[in-house]
Amino acid sequence: MTEVSGEFRREIDALGEVFAFLETFSDGQGVDEKTSFCINLVVEELFTNMVRHNEGGGDQIKVSIERRDNRVLLEIVDTDVEPFDPETAEVPMVDAGIGERRPGGLGIYLVRSMVDDLNYDYEPEGRRMRITVTKTLEN
Amino acid sequence: MFEIKRNENGTISLNGRLDASQVDAARAVFNQVKESCEVDFAELSYISSAGLGLLFGTQKRLVDGGGGLTLINLSPHIREIFQIAGFDNIFEIAY
Repeated sequence: MTEVSGEFRREIDALGEVFAFLETFSDGQGVDEKTSFCINLVVEELFTNMVRHNEGGGDQIKVSIERRDNRVLLEIVDTDVEPFDPETAEVPMVDAGIGERRPGGLGIYLVRSMVDDLNYDYEPEGRRMRITVTKTLEN
Repeated sequence: MFEIKRNENGTISLNGRLDASQVDAARAVFNQVKESCEVDFAELSYISSAGLGLLFGTQKRLVDGGGGLTLINLSPHIREIFQIAGFDNIFEIAY
């Protein structure tokens, strides 16, 4: 039940380091392949959202992860940024045909669909955004 | 690691992980696709919304011209992502 954390450059190219960090965690904690896929996707979508929407933020984005019984708890913290609640992201029309579909909102929609719980909070004093996610292991 | 290859028969093969840091390499190949094409996912282990967005944009362009992508050999995890995204109604997924 030990939490591990990593701080990563605010760059899309840092994703390789983020995935290596997550893989080390999943291997060490015996996380199944499907849950590991989900964790990778959730962290990528939230991380890239922060990189793209929080230009001018701190140099590093912090990712923490912990296994607690049959659940994985994730926390992603971004500092010196404006608030951006993922719950306000556009919801894609996933039942629409190709002509009616619009780009945008798909990443956050996937995250919401694949996890048990997603929470957002923002501390104005430190301009600190924190997103926490709970995911039950698939196997 | 991600690799994309256009084969002699026109099929596109994807290998590795198609994430946001790799999508530009994939875009360079998909932008060259002008007509219906098969995309082989057999060696693709991961895809995120960045890759899905690229595939969607390519599909929309091809469908507007009367063509489309056919996706083959999707892993169960990737197939589930397509279902959640509603992309199983947008692409022909052969097997």
